[in-house]
Amino acid sequence: MKGKKFYVKAISALALSGILLAGCGSSDEGSSNDTAAGDKVTIDIFQNKVEFKTQFEELVAQYEEENPDVKINVKTVGGGTDYAPVLKSTFSSGEEINIFNVTGPQDVIDYKEYLTDLSGTKAAEAALDGTLATVLDGEKILGLPVNQEGYGLVYNKAIFEKAGIDPSTILTHEDLENAVKTLDSKKDELGIEAVFALPGKEAWVLGDHLANAFLADEFNHSVVESFNADTVKFEKGDEMQRFLDLMNKYSVQPVLSLDYSQQVEEYFSLERVAMIQQGNWVYPSVEQMDEEVAQNIGILPIPVEGYEGSIPVGVSSYWAVNSSADEAEVQASKDFLDWMYTSDTGKEAVLTSFKFIPAYEGYDTDKISDPLSQDVYRYASEGKTIGWIFAGYPSNPWGTGVAGPNMQQYIDGKMTWDEVEADSIKQWEEKRK
Amino acid sequence: MRNRDVSFWLFLTPVLLGLGLVVIVPLIYGTYYSFTDWNGLKATEFVGFEHYIRLFQDTAFLNAIWFTVKFSFVTVIALNALGLGLAILVTRKLKTSNFLRTIFFMPNMIGGLILGFIWQFIFINVFSDIGEALGIEALQGWLSTTGTGFWGLVILTCWQMAGYIMIIYIAYLQNIPSELIEAAKIDGANSFQRFKSITFPLVAPAFTVSLFLTLSNSFKIYDQNLSLTNGGPYESTQMVAMEIVKTAFSANEMAYGQAKAVVFFIIVAAIALTQVYYNKKREVDL
Repeated sequence: MKGKKFYVKAISALALSGILLAGCGSSDEGSSNDTAAGDKVTIDIFQNKVEFKTQFEELVAQYEEENPDVKINVKTVGGGTDYAPVLKSTFSSGEEINIFNVTGPQDVIDYKEYLTDLSGTKAAEAALDGTLATVLDGEKILGLPVNQEGYGLVYNKAIFEKAGIDPSTILTHEDLENAVKTLDSKKDELGIEAVFALPGKEAWVLGDHLANAFLADEFNHSVVESFNADTVKFEKGDEMQRFLDLMNKYSVQPVLSLDYSQQVEEYFSLERVAMIQQGNWVYPSVEQMDEEVAQNIGILPIPVEGYEGSIPVGVSSYWAVNSSADEAEVQASKDFLDWMYTSDTGKEAVLTSFKFIPAYEGYDTDKISDPLSQDVYRYASEGKTIGWIFAGYPSNPWGTGVAGPNMQQYIDGKMTWDEVEADSIKQWEEKRK
Repeated sequence: MRNRDVSFWLFLTPVLLGLGLVVIVPLIYGTYYSFTDWNGLKATEFVGFEHYIRLFQDTAFLNAIWFTVKFSFVTVIALNALGLGLAILVTRKLKTSNFLRTIFFMPNMIGGLILGFIWQFIFINVFSDIGEALGIEALQGWLSTTGTGFWGLVILTCWQMAGYIMIIYIAYLQNIPSELIEAAKIDGANSFQRFKSITFPLVAPAFTVSLFLTLSNSFKIYDQNLSLTNGGPYESTQMVAMEIVKTAFSANEMAYGQAKAVVFFIIVAAIALTQVYYNKKREVDL
């Protein structure tokens, strides 16, 4: 009797632990089935752009239809900071991903052993000059640019018109200052609360983007140079300070609790301010809030001496192909990327459904649909660009962890500008020792 | 008492396995990695105590610890006072007491992230509108300074957790035999004396539990911090958990972040265990 009872207990306990183990094991089974599926090649894509997830999956479905022997799984994890740790843990857990995103020189170094040389692909040949700098390793091309992005002062054309300001005349800091003063003096008439909405809470707006515009010059606009630089000099520090002061002075207050969504949605889209420092990526948000406003906006340059009328344009993310997968999968991954950027169907989708500013040749750029992307493309094609060097900042992270917070302290009066520069330089050098 | 036979361990297996896989093993791995140059993908070199020496000179980390200690001190006191107060309120014979219990407990059902965003809106928009309407300067510009960020976090945490702590106190308050209270009444004790000499000692076990919960919780807060202030302005309202996440994932120093996490674990464990030990000693049995 006693023995029987023991067995009942033992079996139920084992069953319980069995359930637990089964829960852990099931995902392994799933993936091994996929690879064993024979002639059908399965590619796993792990990408970081949430904003075009649906459109991307539609394009993938189209590709699967055209190529029945390829199956593509897309996984999206978004918003800059979240993607990196998830990617890292996916790699260290040994899960096989075929296509993923790398965002800067540090990623390229970290993942080097996994990166396939893509130099033979059609897309790599079509990539525009300079867009590959981050992912070059000697002769090798380790990634393909996703798209181009640009930023400056996004402004509301209707408000400028009403105030009688011709945006095309705004090139230097003085021009901008005069325009801002005009706008400020007509605030009531124009129905705006302030000229700017400066999102002081977002360290990336200050430390990454704003600083980049004024620092690019000293690194010759090269992300590789900033990545290898032992120090930063703030050669244009005074101009940076002047520009930040101007935005802060004429911004909605208090700036230090103002975040990105307030800036773009609450203030800019609802026409409560005339200008914000942002890039072409804000278009979908503005469009969601007010389509009419969205059609009537443009990008003004950030006034940097010697670069009047230029805006920072660059590539913030690259596609990489995992070389540790078997050859068929690597080839299929390359084929897919080629198809996306060089086939007619792909090109069409890139322009009209992804709403990308293409980083490749051979696109019908009249089809770029939104006014901000058109502006960025115009600056880019006229060669009026400033480098996109903040991906090469030291990884403490210098932009959002050092320069940004320092500027916030400056805005709050806790630091003088000299201290901002001195501390930022010090921490750059410490990290690059 | 024959409770250590094979079936005892067999029944424990699922839990031990779970605990081992998600707590013990990562802890051991993590501690090991904190002594290497692990970057999240591979560890190539054993660096000894380098990270541990470095973190004691890391002002960002020390600031975060100091901020967290201040925060925990204030929240633990406020939360327990509030929790006990609410519990006493709803254990009175009020008609609405069941309704009130539900209401007070409700905030605890909302996730920290969402609460953070809700309160962000309240602090930034509602507070400033009220402040403007009534001409109260102090209500304007919340979350844009370190001080308001700190109090914002305290208010948010108290609002969220007070209901939970209340439930614990209610359980103990209801266990107090009414004879004791009645006897004290007959002996002529006033309500304050009854509270001090009967209620308070008898809910002491609740203090042990609640203090432990509030203490360890307020030390480990992350999501509320992330959504309410995100460390801003200039990382001055950044708590330890957030500082560790930033070190590991945005500064990309996994091993260093791991070392900070180990130190953080030791601090929290030490404080929590000391507190439980001392509180246990003061508990009285009926």
